[in-house]
Order: sequence, then C-alpha cells, then structure tokens
Amino acid sequence: MPKDTLGEFEHHVLLAAHRLGEGAYTAAIVMELERLTGRDIAPAAVYIALRRLEEVGFAASELRTPERGGRRRRYFTPTADGIGQMQESRRRFEALWDGIRLGDV
Amino acid sequence: MSDRPTVPPGLRARIARRLPRSVPAPERELILAELDDLYELRVARDGVDAATRWYRRQTRRFPLRLHAERARETLFNARGGRSMGRIGMDAAYAVRRMLKAPGFTAVAVVSLALGIGANTAMFSIVNAVLLADPPFERPSELVELYTSDASGTPYGPWSYPDFTDLREGSGEVFAGVSASRTMIASGGLADRSAILLGEAVTPNHFELHGVPMVLGPGFGPQYDGPSGTSPVVVISHGLWLQEFGGDRDVIGQSYRINQLDYTVVGVTPEWYTGSFPAFHSSAFTPMNMSAVLMAFQSDADPLEQRGSRSMFVRGRLADGVSVEQANGWLGGFSTAMGEAHPATNRDRVYQAIRLDEILVHPIVDRALLPVAGLLMAMVGLVLLIACVNLAGFLLARAEARRREIGVRLALGAGRAALVRQLLVETTMIALLGGLAGIGVAHLAVDALVSVRPPIPVPLNLDFPLDGRVLGFTLGASVLAGVLFGLVPALQATNPGIANTLRDEAGSVTRRGRMRSALVVAQVAFSVVLLVGSGLFLRSLLNAQGADPGFYEGEAAIIWPQLALTGLGEAEGQEYWGELERRLLADPDITQVGFTDFMPLGFGVQTRAFQIDGFSGDRADGGIEIDIGSVSAGFFATLEVPIVVGRGFDAADPEGERQVVVSRALASRYFPNGAVGETLDAGGSEPWRIIGVAEDTKVRTIGEDPRPKVYMWAEQQYLEGLQVVVRGRTSGPELLARSIAIATELEPRLVLFDRRTMSEHLAVHLFPPRMAALLLSIFGGLALLLAAIGIWGVVSHSAAKRTREVGIRMTLGATRPGIVRMLVGDGLRLVVVGLAGGLVLAAATGVLVSGFLYDVGLFDPVAYLGIPLVLLIVSVGASWVPASRASRADPLIALRSD
Repeated sequence: MPKDTLGEFEHHVLLAAHRLGEGAYTAAIVMELERLTGRDIAPAAVYIALRRLEEVGFAASELRTPERGGRRRRYFTPTADGIGQMQESRRRFEALWDGIRLGDV
Repeated sequence: MSDRPTVPPGLRARIARRLPRSVPAPERELILAELDDLYELRVARDGVDAATRWYRRQTRRFPLRLHAERARETLFNARGGRSMGRIGMDAAYAVRRMLKAPGFTAVAVVSLALGIGANTAMFSIVNAVLLADPPFERPSELVELYTSDASGTPYGPWSYPDFTDLREGSGEVFAGVSASRTMIASGGLADRSAILLGEAVTPNHFELHGVPMVLGPGFGPQYDGPSGTSPVVVISHGLWLQEFGGDRDVIGQSYRINQLDYTVVGVTPEWYTGSFPAFHSSAFTPMNMSAVLMAFQSDADPLEQRGSRSMFVRGRLADGVSVEQANGWLGGFSTAMGEAHPATNRDRVYQAIRLDEILVHPIVDRALLPVAGLLMAMVGLVLLIACVNLAGFLLARAEARRREIGVRLALGAGRAALVRQLLVETTMIALLGGLAGIGVAHLAVDALVSVRPPIPVPLNLDFPLDGRVLGFTLGASVLAGVLFGLVPALQATNPGIANTLRDEAGSVTRRGRMRSALVVAQVAFSVVLLVGSGLFLRSLLNAQGADPGFYEGEAAIIWPQLALTGLGEAEGQEYWGELERRLLADPDITQVGFTDFMPLGFGVQTRAFQIDGFSGDRADGGIEIDIGSVSAGFFATLEVPIVVGRGFDAADPEGERQVVVSRALASRYFPNGAVGETLDAGGSEPWRIIGVAEDTKVRTIGEDPRPKVYMWAEQQYLEGLQVVVRGRTSGPELLARSIAIATELEPRLVLFDRRTMSEHLAVHLFPPRMAALLLSIFGGLALLLAAIGIWGVVSHSAAKRTREVGIRMTLGATRPGIVRMLVGDGLRLVVVGLAGGLVLAAATGVLVSGFLYDVGLFDPVAYLGIPLVLLIVSVGASWVPASRASRADPLIALRSD
C-alpha cells in the first residue's frame, strides 16, 4: 500500500534525483547518495524506492537513450507533488529542530 | 570503447536468473543495465577487483531485495497468505479505492443496482412461476394425469366415473390416484359470507401429496361414501387465521358453505395453496359433496356423468415404475375405456406427465416460456449495457492507473494477483449494486403485484425473494463484476502494455479499439431499448386516446352472484327487477344497465353459430362468436348507439328470441342488411336480429372490431350480472351507493366484484403502461450511460491526441476545426452503433408488435426520432471534452506526450 508521506530514505533518494537534474538514473543516484553520505547504498533499495515514489506520484520517469549507441535508462525527476512533499518534510524537521541545542554531543 | 570495463558475463547471467520471474523482460534489461552502470562507476572509483566483489554481492542481494519486496507486498495484501485472506486484503484495498473515487463508485453501484434489480425482480417471478418445485413429498413420483378434451387438446380434465375406473384398475403402476375440482362458493361463519375459492377433493388427496394437517385428522376413507353424506371441511391456514382467529379449538366447529354447515376436520399447513397454480384454495370438501355444492348448476350429480369432465387427477407412481411405463399402461386403459364406453370415450386418450415438468399447464407453459424468455432477455440487456458502460469507464481508469500497475508489475507483483485484485474491486462494486438491487427488486415486485387483474378470485401472487433468488442475485452480481472488470483488468496488467510506459502506440490503439467497440455496442443496445420504449409509449398514448366504443365517464360496476347468495331462479328474477327499480329511485342515479359480458372485462363468452355461406374453425363449420346478455337499458347506459333497427324493449312480445348484433357482425355476414335476418345458434328456433349496435372493444383495447351478439337478459334467467350504474355523482360515490342499495335489498348478497368505471378501464392500460414505463426507465438509463460512455471515449481520445492537436494548431488549424475533428471521432462510433442498433431494434420490433396498439411496425417517430435524440445527445457528449481539448495552449500541448 503506497504511503502518502516520504520515508527518510525516500527523501534522500528524491533529493539526490533532484540534485542530479537531467542525469538522474538509478545508478547515478546510487553513486550520488554514496558520495554524499559516505556509506554503501544498496542499489535494490534505491530501485524499489524510486518505483514507490513514482507509484505515489512524487517522481516521474522517462526512458531515454542519452547518446547515440548508449544504454537505454530510466531517468527520474521529482514531480511538483514530490518537491512540495520534500519542502513539507524539511519544514517539519526544521520546526522540530527550532530552538534546540544539543550541547556537546 | 574497447577499454570500457564489462561485468563478468557469468555473474550478470546469475542476477538475471535470480530476478523474480514476474519482472517483465524489458524491465529486466533495464535493471541489468543500471547494474552495469554501477559496475563501471565503481571500477572507476574503487578499481576492478572491488567493483567485481561488489557486483558478486549484488548477484545475491539485489534479487533478494526484490523478492523480499514482493513478499512484503503480498503479505501486506494478505496476512496469513491464504487466498481468502488475500482476497480479504484485496477487499480492504478495494474499499479504499472505491472511497477515493466516490463518483465512479456511485455511478457504478446505481447503474448496477438498476440492472441487477430488474433482473432479480424478473427472476423472482420466473422463479415462483416456472422454477419452483412442487412442494410435495417426493415430487418426482407425482404425475398429472390428462385426457384429450372435446377440441382434441390432449390436456383436459377427467370425469369422475373415468377416475374411479382408473382408481380400481391402476394398482400395478400407481401407488395411488386422487382427484380434485375447483369450487367457487359463498363461505363464512353463520352470520356473514363472502366468495370462497376452494376445491372438492377425494379423501386421499392430502395423503397422496404428503400434505400433513396442522390441526385435526383431515379426511379419512369414511368420507368417500354416497353423495352428500360428508358435510366436513378442511380449511387453509389463511382461512383459519382469518375466520377463526387461529383458534386451536377450531376442529369440530362449523363453517357455512353455500348456506350449509360443514364441520371443520382439519387445517392445512401455511405453505399449502391447493392444487392449482396461482390460485389459493381456502377450503376443501370431500368430493362426494360436489352435487350439493353445485346444486344450483344442474340437477344431475356431476359425479355420475361420464361426459362431465372437471376432475384434475394426480397420481403417485408405484415403486420402481417410470412415467413411460405408466403411460404404456394408460395406453391400454385408453383403448379399454373407448371400447367400454364408446359414447363418451371413443378415441379418448389418457396420459401422465411428471408434475415437476409442468409449470402451470402444458398449454399455458408453451406460451409462458417465450414471454418469460423475452422479459429476461430485456432485463439482461439492461444489465449488459450497464456492464459495458462500466467496462468502458474502467478502461479509461486503467489508463490513469497504468503507471501504478506498471510499477507494481516492475516490482514483481504477479499478474494473477493484480488481476485478482482488480476483479475483487469490480466484484465488490457489483455486490454493492446487487445489494441495492435487491431493494430495487423488492419495490418493483411490490409495484407489479399491487396491480391485480380484475378477476374476482384471489390470485396467489407471491414472489418471495427466497434463497434461489438471492443466489441468482449473487451470481448476477459476481458475473457482472467479472464481466465489466475482466477485460479492463487483463488489459491493464498485460506486461507488454503496462510496462513499456512510453512507447506503446500499438497497445493504445488496441485498448482504444476495445473502448470504441464497447461504445458501439452500448449505443446499439440503447437504440434497441429506446426504440422499444418509443414504440410502447406511442402504443400507450394511442391506447389511452383510444375509444373503447362505450361510455368512459363516472360510473360504478357491481357484480352480484345470486346463486351463491342462495336465491333460486324465481327469487333471483324478482331481485334483478327490484334492484333496477331501487337503483333508479335514487335521485343521483340516472341510468342502470345489466350485462353478463362486460366489454373489456377479461371474460370471454362465445357461442357457435351456423351462418349460410360462411364456415368457421369448428368441425361442424360453426363460427365462434362473442355473445353476451344485456338489459334493455344497457345500450343507453353505456352509450352504445343502435345504428340500424332498434334495441330491446320491455314491450316486446314473449316467445321469439331477439338479438342485437354488432356492426362488424352485420357487415361481415349480412352485407345486404342484418335486421330481420335470423341466426342459427343450434337451438330449435332461430334468433331474430332486431338491431345493429355500433362496435365496441370487447376483449382488448387494441383489437379490430369484432362480431358480437347481444341477447336480451329478460329472455333467460342469469344468476350473475354486472350492473353498470351512472349518475350525477362520482364513480366511488356511485359505487358505495349501489352496494348499499343492493345489500339492503338482500343482506346475504355475495358480490363477485365491484369497481368504478375508471378502475375497469385502467386495468386495460396496465400492460402497455407498465411496458412503456419500464422501457422508458431503462431506455433513459441506457441513453444516459451511452452519453457518459461517448464522453469518456472522446475525452480519452482528445487526451491521447493533445500533441497532435498542438501541432495542428501551430500549423494554423482553427479551434472549431479541432473540435469538429474530435467530435467526429465520437460520432463515427455513434453512427456505427446507431446503424447496428436500428437493425436489432427492427428485429425486436417485429417480436413485440403483437403487444402494440395502433403502432406501425416501422413507426417513424420511434425509428427516426430516437436516433435523432441519440445523435444530439452524442454531439453534446463529445463536444464538451472536445472543446476543452481545443482550448489547450498549443505550446503546452506540444510538450506533452
């Protein structure tokens, strides 16, 4: 059952797709996430997350062959809904953080 | 790029092998390509060895994640994993989806409720009339026994002497035989009485059928003695409640039938309605009371006359005897009877038919089945249209859900599971429709039953929504759900279509074609129903405006039955005269007419006449002509003009039989003038024609003028007459006044029937009115559904062609031109549907032409008007979405796919 809110990982994936702009295909998103988080990212998790995002309408995909003789890939872009959802998540997060200092941890 | 690193082919194949099988091939390629990408990127970042190790891990992890995801999805839909559980989860999902699209759900449920309701209502009638098993013990052993009657029909009733011969001799094939005959009498407790419909039966009748008594011993063999020795009665459950208030001490009390006291010896169970379909018998007397019960009809004991045939005979086959064997035996019996009693039984044939193979009566059954079939076909058509329409909707919705479904398929959801889920959704909608349909059916059946034909006996019209009907409704609902859900579900989940998300022109065309075909079918079916309703509406209007040929204004009709009242001929003669005088003495009553054959009264009375130069259908060349007796005041009261000669006059001499004939009779048989001619009615003296009356409708409002003979009621005694009363006040008032006067004159009076003139006439308009009403409702619904379907197709095709529209507009196409193009898309389908529908409608029109009044087979209003209306509605339904599409900004349109 699709959820209507963003999970944390989905949020990450969607953000990465947004950052990559035109070049957001699964492998590129995986690499971008690994670069930004410094962790190994399971490609299957990204694959599943992207399709779930598409299912709920937060991302749209398109099959493209970028260069002549190149590989056909599915490119993802966040939809207006998806972007709105990210902003909403961010706003909620910032509201929670607002005025909090975590000391020396 | 020869230096481009490549994945070791063995590992790549391993992943491919391990992916869930439900992942379609194109998607499989995409996954492998992404992993190739990742491998290359990792080679660049971490080196070949690290990348290969990583890839090797992925051969296990990646498919595992997809499998896990699929399992999670399945689990999510199906805790427990058993199919019923999964369906339960599907149902929960379906409910959420239905709530998300309340408009669609409402339209679907309402249209299915009407469709299924109509089918359920019709089926509950068919079920009660045609399908119900005889409610008796071991019904397959029971047979109905018939004999050929005077006209040669092989399904006639028996005479009692023939029955006793059968009873004596048939021990080897029948375990028992019983006889029953109808009884119409007056019945009641000592101080009041009413029409009583019952039966006289042989004492073994209940035992043979396995009908136990609720109270009392019932009939025993002691009631089979000489005629008139058994004044006992078994009463029905209904009569017991109604007359005795359900008193458990009813046994031994007395009940009065035709002015004679009968001792109650039994009460039948509630479910028992007697021996005759549709009639509810309230009381049963032993057969040997027949002569007493029918004393007013003849002096001879009907049980002693071999030529008097009014017994309905049932038999129970002996152990191990088949119907064929019984009929073999009956063949010998027929021959023996013919030889023993040549006067009455020569060439007479006896036969047995299994009771559970008879619906009403073999002859009636033959007419009943096609009518039932036609009605079921009509309501089936309505349900079909509703299903076709919803299937169209779902195909459109499938477009919108394609992405969601494609994603689920890509994640490896099984196609079967998706189809199942979509079908659960449509079936649930259909079940909701069925549930509402039961309500619709209940209302429809109530409405149908509330109008009863004007026959003075209570009809046993009980159409229960029993288990079989509910089963039918359930079946119809599930069938409807699958019917309108399956094609869209299969199309939506076709991996070849659903998954190649962008480049699928072919599949769109295919799906488009399917929708187009659905719209064509829908338009065609709508045309059939609409033309049908048009024909029946025209027929109704014609019938309403039709002139029955007699007075239609305020009047009352009462129908006293003097024999049942207990009056003999002398008293009765006096009663009729006195009744006329007293009625006319009322200041508000102006005219009174008597007749035993009220026109449009559903009764049929004929007599055979020999007319020189003409020969009829009868073996002796006689012509069957409608005949009725009327009083002198009849023609004036009913405003039937005498066009030649004169009517009856109290001053006429006694002796010669005088008759008035209808204009149709006069012009057909006496073109040179009828007055003064005679009619040979087979009696000793010919009948003298003294006048010709204008034609009236006799049997149905739609008939051509019929020959009819009016006899003078003064010239023979009639124990039952319908009295038509006119005056200066309203029909109901006249009715109350007439009943008061008639009962004041004879307090014991039994009235066979009573009604106002408008009630009398309304009954004739009932069948066309019901047909027109039903067809109009269904036709209107079909039109609405068709309009919605056309709307859907056009907006869908407009959406598909957005880009094309953009290009055309950039190239200078005008907005009206675009609208024309898109509307044309819709209208093409409509025109095809119209053409097909008109052909179907013409064929149907021929089938129903017998039910129509004064409507030509190719009524221009129905056949030209309906298509025109449909065209206008279609233009409207396609214009709205077309003009919306044409308003799109060309630049945006171009960018869209």
